[in-house]
Amino acid sequence: MTFHWSVIWEHADRFVAGAMLTIELTVLTMLLSLPAGLILAFLRLSRWRLIRIAATAFVELFRSTPLILQIYWVYYVLPVFADIRLPGLATALIGLVCNISSYNSETFRAGIVSIRRGQWNAGLALGMTRGQAMWRIVLPQAAMRVLPALATTWVSLFKDTSLVSVIHVEDLSYVSLKIRTETFVILEVLTAMAAMYWFMGYPQAKLVDWVHRRFKVAE
Amino acid sequence: MDIDISPLLTRWQFLSQALGVTVYISLLSLTFGFIIGVLVGALRTYGGRLLDALLGFYVDSMRAIPLLVVLVWTFFAFPLIAGISLNTTTAGIIALSVHLGAYMAETVRAGLTSVRGGQMRAALALGMSRIEAIRKIILPQALIRMLPSLGSLCTFAIKDSAIASVIAVPELMRQSQIVAGQTYHYVEIYTALMIVYFLLCYPLARGVDRLYRRVAHLGSS
Repeated sequence: MTFHWSVIWEHADRFVAGAMLTIELTVLTMLLSLPAGLILAFLRLSRWRLIRIAATAFVELFRSTPLILQIYWVYYVLPVFADIRLPGLATALIGLVCNISSYNSETFRAGIVSIRRGQWNAGLALGMTRGQAMWRIVLPQAAMRVLPALATTWVSLFKDTSLVSVIHVEDLSYVSLKIRTETFVILEVLTAMAAMYWFMGYPQAKLVDWVHRRFKVAE
Repeated sequence: MDIDISPLLTRWQFLSQALGVTVYISLLSLTFGFIIGVLVGALRTYGGRLLDALLGFYVDSMRAIPLLVVLVWTFFAFPLIAGISLNTTTAGIIALSVHLGAYMAETVRAGLTSVRGGQMRAALALGMSRIEAIRKIILPQALIRMLPSLGSLCTFAIKDSAIASVIAVPELMRQSQIVAGQTYHYVEIYTALMIVYFLLCYPLARGVDRLYRRVAHLGSS
């Protein structure tokens, strides 16, 4: 069996461009999903029942269905209902943000709830408003506790971005699969794709383990 | 817009068959994944440094490479090296199991290490072999503690099986794409699909949560 590894070098710039888009998608999705997840968490802890139910329904729906289906759903259904045609990248981003912010909201909610009630009461007793007690007392403490869970979500997000290839967003997996069909060099191209994901993902997985050790909650 | 669910009604046999395939590959990949997970998790915990490093490399690699890539590689590239041919369903089950197995292994390892060392020493002192102690004393307690993670891995297995559609495994996602492509009723079909997957995953997750609350005391020592 002869190998054609030169194909990889001939298309190196396309592989790199795909990898860059994968990284961009990961970073952008997380940047948008952090505030979105926090808002969802607040809505789930709201005083009004209707808001609580709506937020819970959103979160549970996106946590209980496959991301690949969510991406298709946003791709086909959103233009029909909302009557807007978005570029593929924006569509992918919406799908990813809905999914990841749902996971983030559970993380934030668990973090907020884990801060003992006494912290709240002490804040209020000192004359703070509810908002102040949340921003100055509860959230800073919760932030340290949710870091490990957020790090785990980050790595699975990095992997999940590969699913945007199904709606022709030109990330690393889309580009690789396309080069495969153009050149018919299957083994080498697919192995290069896996290797590139490995080189990017492996250090992240290790970093997550470190975050887990470093910020472990011991009470 | 008008909603027309007729493709769902006329093709329901085709789609329910696909649902069967989704359940089938989810169950098989869960079973194989669990076997891989228990073996790898136990060997990493009790098998010494070298095994821990080698198997740790497998686990961390699977945590780093997207499932889509594992699936595509297993179906298109692996047969070229191995000189065999795989059908889509077999390749799908292999890839899903190998990927899920790594996550199972992490869960099993966390469960095993959470059981206090005194349990193992007590079992050894009673004359059990190490294998026996793991099987009869440590694992039963660890399994109860692992239950919440195992529950979420079950829903992950179902959700991940949808990714097998990219290598044309005839499961629910793939077959729905075919029906949607033939009838152009994307909205109805993909919305129905969201509901079906939700009905599969959500009760499963809540059910395992409930079960755990009832048996949690059995895992404390």
